[in-house]
Order: sequence, then C-alpha cells, then structure tokens
Amino acid sequence: MATMVNLTINGKEIQAPEGMTVLEAAKREGVFIPTLCYHEALEPEGTCRLCIVEVSGSLRHAIRVSCIQEVKEGLVVETETERIKKNRRLIIELLLGRSPYSKELLDLAARCGVVTSRFRTGEDDACVRCGRCVRVCRDQIGAYALCWVNRGYDRKITTDFERLSEYCIGCGSCAQVCPTGAIKIEDRGDERKIYTWGQVLARFKLEKCKECGRPFAPKKYLDRINEKAYKTKGLELVDYICPECVKKAEHRPTPVKTPFGGGGMPFVV
Amino acid sequence: MDIPTVDKILGKFPEVKGNLIGILHEVQNHFHYLPEEELRYISKKTRIPITQIYSIINFYNRFSLKPKGENEICVCLGTACHVKGAEKVLDAISGNLNIQKGESTDDMRFSLEEVRCIGACSLAPAVVINEETYGQVSPKQVTTILKQYE
Repeated sequence: MATMVNLTINGKEIQAPEGMTVLEAAKREGVFIPTLCYHEALEPEGTCRLCIVEVSGSLRHAIRVSCIQEVKEGLVVETETERIKKNRRLIIELLLGRSPYSKELLDLAARCGVVTSRFRTGEDDACVRCGRCVRVCRDQIGAYALCWVNRGYDRKITTDFERLSEYCIGCGSCAQVCPTGAIKIEDRGDERKIYTWGQVLARFKLEKCKECGRPFAPKKYLDRINEKAYKTKGLELVDYICPECVKKAEHRPTPVKTPFGGGGMPFVV
Repeated sequence: MDIPTVDKILGKFPEVKGNLIGILHEVQNHFHYLPEEELRYISKKTRIPITQIYSIINFYNRFSLKPKGENEICVCLGTACHVKGAEKVLDAISGNLNIQKGESTDDMRFSLEEVRCIGACSLAPAVVINEETYGQVSPKQVTTILKQYE
C-alpha cells in the first residue's frame, strides 16, 4: 500500500497515494480540469498548460501544471479561481490562434468561457503541439518514428528527414491519441496512409485477413505484435486474422492464437 | 559514405549517454555539415533513434543538414551588434560574396550565417569566421578581412 497524503482540492479534504499527480487526484474526486496533452497511458509532459491550478499550503503559493505536479502532504489546490480561469482562457486563445477550427479545442473553449481568440495566425493545422503522438510512438510502441523539429513557432512533428518513415509500423496509435485529430489514419483498399496537415508520414500495404479476405493491417505491425506476443506470452500468431473474424464464434476456442482480443486496434502493441 | 572518419570520431567518445552532441559537433566540423548517411550510421552505432538525432539537429542552429562552405562566416545580430550596425556589415559581406544569409558560395569557399548573441557584445559589431572573432567590424573592413581567406 502506498503511503497516503492529505490534501485539499477546492476546499474538500481528500487523501491520495504518494506519487499521484494533482490532476489524477482531482479527476478521482470528480473535479474537472481541462487537458489536452494528458493521456492516461502516457507519461505526462505538461506541454499544453491547460491543466494549471493554484497551489498553496505546503508549497509556495503559485500556479502549477497539475498533470506533472505530484500530491503533497498539506497541499491546498484551487482549480477554478479567477486567476486560473483568466490564465486558462489566455492559453486557449493562444492555441485557437493556430487551430481556429479544431472542434475539440472549440468545445474546451466554450466550456472555459472563451468566445473568440484575439490571436490570428492565418494558419489552421489543428495540431496543438501536445506531443502525445511522439510520446506514444516512443514510449509505448517503441518505434521512434515521430520526432519534433525546429523551435518556437516553427515547432512541428515529423518523421526523420521529413520523408516517409521506415520506422513507422503503421499501428495508428499516434492518430488515436491525437486530441485534435491533426494526425489522421486512412485505410483505402489495401493501402494505409498516416498523415498530418502537411505531410504523409507513412504508407503501408495492408495484409489480408485469412478468414474474410479483408485487408486489415500492415505486415510490420502484425510482425511487431507477433514478436511481442512471443516474448511476453510465448504465443505464436499462426494466421493473420482480422479483429472481426476473431470475435466470431468459430474462433472462440482458440483466441490465444491471436492477440486481437476485444476488436479494434490494441492501444499498446 | 566516409565510415573511417565517423568511426574515428565515434572512437573518441566513450559509449555513454549524452555524448551525441559532442559527436555531432565533430562530424559537423569535419564535413562542414551533417550528411544523412553518416547520421544513419551514427544512429546504428550509438543505438540512438534517428528521429531523436534529427530532432536535435533541427533544434540547434550550429548543426546543418545542408553542405556549408569551408569558411563559415557568422555575423552576430544580437542586440548590441544590431544597435552598432551589424546589418550593414552583413549586407557588405553578402554583397562581397554575392550570397544571401544561409547560403554558400558556388565554389564552397564561404558560407554566410546570421547568429544571435555570441557573448562578445563589447566587440560589437562582431563577426566570427571559423574560430576567429573580429570585433568592431565596419562594412569597409569586410573586403580586407575576407581577403585573408581567399
């Protein structure tokens, strides 16, 4: 059992295990804190700054980023003070300056009381530079296909040398974790394309399902699953079978042959 | 691809984390830029993903993916140099070599870059050519300075 610490969030005294972040503790208590770069499956990086909170008590009174701030004995957290709301609105406005049509961002803006942004860049790339895609590719998939390039305003995500990636396995996790849909994955016929607003990141030929014949996943991706399944569970994937066919009754007795349980794309390969 | 040179550079560094920037500096100094094939080789040898190397190269102005001239001219455009008329010095060099900032001469003898503060504000306006720093440079002196490198 982890040691529990006592803290106060919005006037409510709560207990949380040591090492937990303020954001996680607040979520558990049902306190809404807007986030974009935070994702349950990823290491927090504190890039979007939306989850700012005001802390005092056992820490110097300041605005902190709650997704990377760990809970502390005697910490007093306020998530909706005037100061926080004002700062948060500014952050949203700045993000909107570049992604004025992002639905997710507009929803958050509406929720936080932002009507219009004072910033105009003339650009619309939906990407909020949160780095979820880079983190999932690096830390969870281990493919290292995506990276940051440039600095400041020119910062963007891309592949090595900004060409079609050799390292991408086509799992689509980057598109799945993207909070604003700036990275897209598209399967057309037997081809998979992963792309952003200005660049095709990777292209793949899809392998056909041995049961229904539908092209469903790139070979690199299946190979990676195979390798992982063998290493961790000693299982070997005999045939390429799509998630839909796996779900069908005739395959129920031998689900261990394939790790495609539950259908859809497994988030962590 | 020049494997012996890269191997020699790699050999100078112990195989520990955090040496990449040093390696990249040496490679940049040798080739006057960072060639892609060599970078991929370094990535393989050091087991650092190429995407991370690419990210670092893009982050620092010192590193270049485009071939640079033998003599790298850096004109400081930091605040002090700017105030002391560095733009005019830059224009003079640009006119003399007939290249714009960020470009190299056709014979690859010179390349011209603008840099932000190089920490030599007392010498403003300052110009760095290779390792040599020139202080209080006036546009008139440009021809004389460049002659030394012809």
